[in-house]
Amino acid sequence: MVPRLNPLTLLAAAAAVLVMTTAASSWAVSLTVASGAVALAAALGRARRVLLAGGAILAPFWLSLLVMHGLFYPEGRTVLAGWGPARVTAEGIGFAFDMGLRTSAFVLVLMLFSFSVRVPDLVAALATLRLPPQFGYVLASTLMLAPIIAVRLHTVRQAQESRGLVVEKGLGSRLKAVRLQMVPLVLGLVHDAGTRAQALDARGFRRAGPRTSYREVHDSAAQRFFRWAILLLAGAAVVLRIVASASGGGPA
Amino acid sequence: MSRQEMSGRNTSGQNAARTTLCAAIEGFTFHGGSGPALRGVEIEITPGSLTAVLGGSGSGKSTLGRLLAAWLAGGRDGVLRGTLQLAAGGRQGEGCPLVFSGTGDDPRIDSAAWADHVGYVPQDAAAMLSAVRGTVEEELAFGLENRGTARSEMTRIVAETARRTGLTALLERDPATLSGGELRRLAIGCAIVTGPGVLILDEPLASLDPAGERTVMELVRDVRGRGAAVVVLSQHADGLTRQATHWLVLEDGAATAAGPPDRLLAGGSLASSGVVVGGPPVLPAAGAGSRPVAAAAPAAASGPAPAPGLPPALQLEGVSFGFDANDPGSPLLLKNINLDVRPGEIVAVTGPNGAGKSTLLRLFNGLLRPLRGNVRVAGKGIAGVPTGVVAERLGLLFQHPHDQLFERTVQREVIFGLERLFGQHASAKAAAALAEVGLDASGGVHPHELSGSGQRLLALATVLAREPAVLALDEPTVALDAHGLDRLTAAITAAAGRGAAVVLVTHDLAFARAHAHRTVELKDGALVGC
Repeated sequence: MVPRLNPLTLLAAAAAVLVMTTAASSWAVSLTVASGAVALAAALGRARRVLLAGGAILAPFWLSLLVMHGLFYPEGRTVLAGWGPARVTAEGIGFAFDMGLRTSAFVLVLMLFSFSVRVPDLVAALATLRLPPQFGYVLASTLMLAPIIAVRLHTVRQAQESRGLVVEKGLGSRLKAVRLQMVPLVLGLVHDAGTRAQALDARGFRRAGPRTSYREVHDSAAQRFFRWAILLLAGAAVVLRIVASASGGGPA
Repeated sequence: MSRQEMSGRNTSGQNAARTTLCAAIEGFTFHGGSGPALRGVEIEITPGSLTAVLGGSGSGKSTLGRLLAAWLAGGRDGVLRGTLQLAAGGRQGEGCPLVFSGTGDDPRIDSAAWADHVGYVPQDAAAMLSAVRGTVEEELAFGLENRGTARSEMTRIVAETARRTGLTALLERDPATLSGGELRRLAIGCAIVTGPGVLILDEPLASLDPAGERTVMELVRDVRGRGAAVVVLSQHADGLTRQATHWLVLEDGAATAAGPPDRLLAGGSLASSGVVVGGPPVLPAAGAGSRPVAAAAPAAASGPAPAPGLPPALQLEGVSFGFDANDPGSPLLLKNINLDVRPGEIVAVTGPNGAGKSTLLRLFNGLLRPLRGNVRVAGKGIAGVPTGVVAERLGLLFQHPHDQLFERTVQREVIFGLERLFGQHASAKAAAALAEVGLDASGGVHPHELSGSGQRLLALATVLAREPAVLALDEPTVALDAHGLDRLTAAITAAAGRGAAVVLVTHDLAFARAHAHRTVELKDGALVGC
């Protein structure tokens, strides 16, 4: 847990790291950031959740990268193996590796952020920036959607199994089950959203005028300074990258 | 009170402003609706009063409640003709009546400003919550935050509201982890936190155990004691609605009777309304439920008890269960449960909220697996057998129809999975099940468009259509009006008559005593009275 850090500090740090990683455009930096995110997650006791969620996103992504660029990279010259039109080239593998590492750094940092921040605190902190409350609500809903979907999906599946659906281990059976569950899942979520909208209206959510926040989110001068500093650093990294590109150099 | 007129509000969390709400609804028709959902309904709600709007499922109670609370609006949600008048000073006639003629010139109500004076709690308490607040206290404060209440004042009001609703010990809890009764109290707390002069509660006692019912009834008394008016929408003439000063009876959207409860009960005005009429009122006392419990009713079960000696259709042997299977030291929810239910036998399982009754039913078909012990259905153990296969022998009715219904039409809902069981006869079986619950004319309707009672009966039809050897029914009476209860009773009797074993979990002790061959209580993880 990171109890004394303002969610905006965590958000600024995550955003700055991602911007700097992109600006660096270096597999070594990407690998360092990704490893750092996993190490930090482990130190905070969240390695399992971060790796599981990150893995679910990254595994298919890596697979598609290797297939697309490893086998069919147009600029590939150094052929390592070939089967007709499909050629494994060193350049293709290198590109897939670079893209994969960069995306891994992105996903792992964002997973670490979302598993470290308390969503209601983030919403309260965003309210202090005078952002529209709808912005905070949409953000919070998005971050909290995954567990809601998981619960709803579980319920639908239990209802269907209780009426004779047998999900076997094969891919076909699983895909059929997913297809059967998608329509009720979406319809259920839409139905819930409709009834919730009336309650939100009655509770003054769309009301104009000033709002207050019940939750006090800890902040400090040092954290405010850190946020400005790291965002400036990220801006500087982008400028450096542009200058380096314009002069024809830059990191590989 | 229109958008321009709203300004004053009471967020003291103490006494409510004396508020009078009058409505004369000539007609309200939903956009796309085939006919009026309400017609010829007049109601006057005065400070400190308790009014009960009674009617069967689909009679228009919730529509009236939502119109009174501005959750439904003329123009936006349907065509409204009539008047609404809100006098927040307590003197009738103070506020100008809002006249709706069903045209584009009708007044528009600011639902948030209206909610300062008229609070509404839907039957599904979870729908009241914002879903983006991490604790009970933050959820209570949500409405105050939106009104710009100062933090020190918010802290005071939240603490006061939590005290009144009995939520003080739960302030730090995640709302998603609350029990049904706790959730209902939180929803009421969210409605009263801004101190409305009128509070409208839709089926506030549904699914609550006696302790939960008692808490809600005490809360209603507290709200009225502070000068607020309470309106209860219900299909039960129970301990709460019998305390009302005035009843309004709805049938097919029209008011069929109005007046003091005693006069309406004596005059037989409820006969065709679908309202469930129990015994005399039971005052809320420690350990007693508010629903009329037929203490003197004979245990007249549906048909004779099955002959002893038949092999059990459902058998539980030494079943124990806890949610933390990895921690052998964690407390068990169910301990060493033994239960035999014979073909044709109806067994009722009672017990307080959170005792594990629904969990017990989920062990029957393998949705949950016991940590120890065996479950046998129709003589066969279910260990290692997929739930979808056990479902050929055991039908489970979920506690919330919302969780059970997932198809686009009533017809598709019932026929799901039947082809596997009955092949070409699936359609006939589905039609027969729909006819049994009285929904044979609603095959093309979307399940969400059915009334609460209709959804419950549809969920029951999905179970009956499979003709299982064992029926496991979780709170089957909830949301059913008198007509629905008759259908349920007939269906259970018929199923038992053809040799099915029936296990029903219920808080409705009167129903259990009237229709079950025996009643067992789940308490502290053990079944008592087997």
